[in-house]
Amino acid sequence: MRHLEQELVSLRQDVIDMWRLVISQVSNAGEAILSFDKDLAAKVSLREKKVDAYELKIDGFCENIIALYQPVAIDLRFVLAVFKINSNLERIADFANGISHILVNNPSVILDAEVILDTRLQVMINQVNKMLAQGLEAFENEKSNFAAAIFSEDSQVDEINEKSVQVIADYIQKNPDRAYECLELIGIFRKLERIGDHCANIAEEIFFYIDAKVLKHSPKDKK
Amino acid sequence: MLTIDAKNVDFYYSEFHALKNISLEVEKNKVVALIGPSGCGKSTFLRLLNRMNDLIPGTRMTGSVLFEGEDIYAPNVHVDELRKKVGMVFQKPNPFPKTIFENVAYGLRVNGIKDETFIEQRVVESIKSAALWDEVKDKMKKSAFALSGGQQQRLCIARALAISPKVVLMDEPASALDPISTAKIEELIYELKKDYTIIIVTHNMQQASRVSDKTAYFYLGEMIEFDETTKIFTNPKEHSTQNYVTGRFG
Repeated sequence: MRHLEQELVSLRQDVIDMWRLVISQVSNAGEAILSFDKDLAAKVSLREKKVDAYELKIDGFCENIIALYQPVAIDLRFVLAVFKINSNLERIADFANGISHILVNNPSVILDAEVILDTRLQVMINQVNKMLAQGLEAFENEKSNFAAAIFSEDSQVDEINEKSVQVIADYIQKNPDRAYECLELIGIFRKLERIGDHCANIAEEIFFYIDAKVLKHSPKDKK
Repeated sequence: MLTIDAKNVDFYYSEFHALKNISLEVEKNKVVALIGPSGCGKSTFLRLLNRMNDLIPGTRMTGSVLFEGEDIYAPNVHVDELRKKVGMVFQKPNPFPKTIFENVAYGLRVNGIKDETFIEQRVVESIKSAALWDEVKDKMKKSAFALSGGQQQRLCIARALAISPKVVLMDEPASALDPISTAKIEELIYELKKDYTIIIVTHNMQQASRVSDKTAYFYLGEMIEFDETTKIFTNPKEHSTQNYVTGRFG
C-alpha cells in the first residue's frame, strides 16, 4: 500500500471512531432526557472534550494530506468530504452536549410524560440516531444509497419539530406553571432538528465523495 | 476552426501497434496535456503532430491529422513549412553551440530572412515572450551554453517562438529542471497560451493539472479519456484514469 493510501486509511478510521463517539453522545443525551438521568447527561458533557479532540486531529490530518500528497479525483473528494463531515459531527456533538446541559444545569427540570408523548420527542430522538447510523454505514461501506433515506428522514424530523410547537403552546396554556420546562423542551426540539440538518449535510458529503454529485441546495429527489 | 483535429489515427513501429484509433481535437489557444505511463504512446502522438515520426524507418500511420483544416500528411505538404507552424520543445534543453542571439535568430536565418533589423526585433520579442529577457539582455553575444538548464530550456522555447508558430509541442519540457525553473516554465506556458496553442507531454501529473485546460490519458496505445483537466483530476469518467491520476497504478 502506498503512503498516501495508508494515510487515507488512518484518516478514515479516525472519522469512523469519531462518528461512533458522536452516535453514542446523541443516543445518551436522548436517553438522559427521556429518563431524566442526570448522571448520564453529565457523562455526555464530560465526553464532549473527546469529540473536540477528534475534530482538531482530523482537521490537521486533512490539512497535512492536502499539503503533502496533493490528492486528486476520489482521494481529493474523500479528504474534502471528511473535512466537512468532521465539522458537522462536531456540531452534532455540541447539540448533544447542549441537550445534556439542560438536565445538568437545571436539576429541577422534570418533563411531563403526556407532553413528551404528544410531541413525539422519543420518535424524533430515534430518528436522528437512525440517521447518524445510516450515514456511518454509507461512509464505511462506500455506498451512497445507504445515505439516501436521510434526506426524507430529515423532512420527518422537521415536521415533528414544527408540530411540537403547537403541542407545547397548548400545554403551556393548560399548565402555565410549567412554562419554564416547556421552553427548555422547545430548546431540545430545536437542537434535535439541527442535528437532523447536519445529518443531511453529511449525507450530501457522502454523495459528493462516492458519486461526485453535488446535492447541496438542490431538491434531493434528483440524487 | 480546430487547430488540431486528429481522426482515427493508428500508428505502427514495424509490427508494433503504438497508437490505436486516436481521435483528439485541440482548440485554438488552449493547453492540452497528454499523460499516461511510459510506453503508452503519448510522445508518439505528439511527434505525429509535426511529422517528427517521418524520420523513423519502418513506421506507418493511418487516419488523418488536420492542422487548421488541412491534412498535414497530404502529399503536397512540405514538412519544413509545417514545422514553422508547429514548433517543438524537447525534454532536454538543446541549444546550438552559438551565441544566445544566434540561437534564436537561427530559425529566421534558415528561412531566408536577411533583414537584420527585423531579426533583432523578433529575437528580442521571442526572448521576452519566453520570460528570459531580464536574465540575458546583457549577454546576448555570450554562448548559450553559459546559461543554466532552466534558462537554456526557455531559450529553446524562444527559438521555437521566433518563427511565429501557431502550435508549440512540448515533450516533457521541465522534467530535467529544478523546481524554480519548472515553475518558470509553467508560468510561461500560462502566458503563451494567449498567443499559441500548446500540447504538452508530461509525466508530472501535478504539472498537467496546473498548466492545462484539457487532459488526455493514454494507456497501451489507446486514448482512454480526454476531458477538461478539472474533470480528469476531480471526477474522471474511467476507472483506469482514476487509478492513474491517484497513483494507484503505473
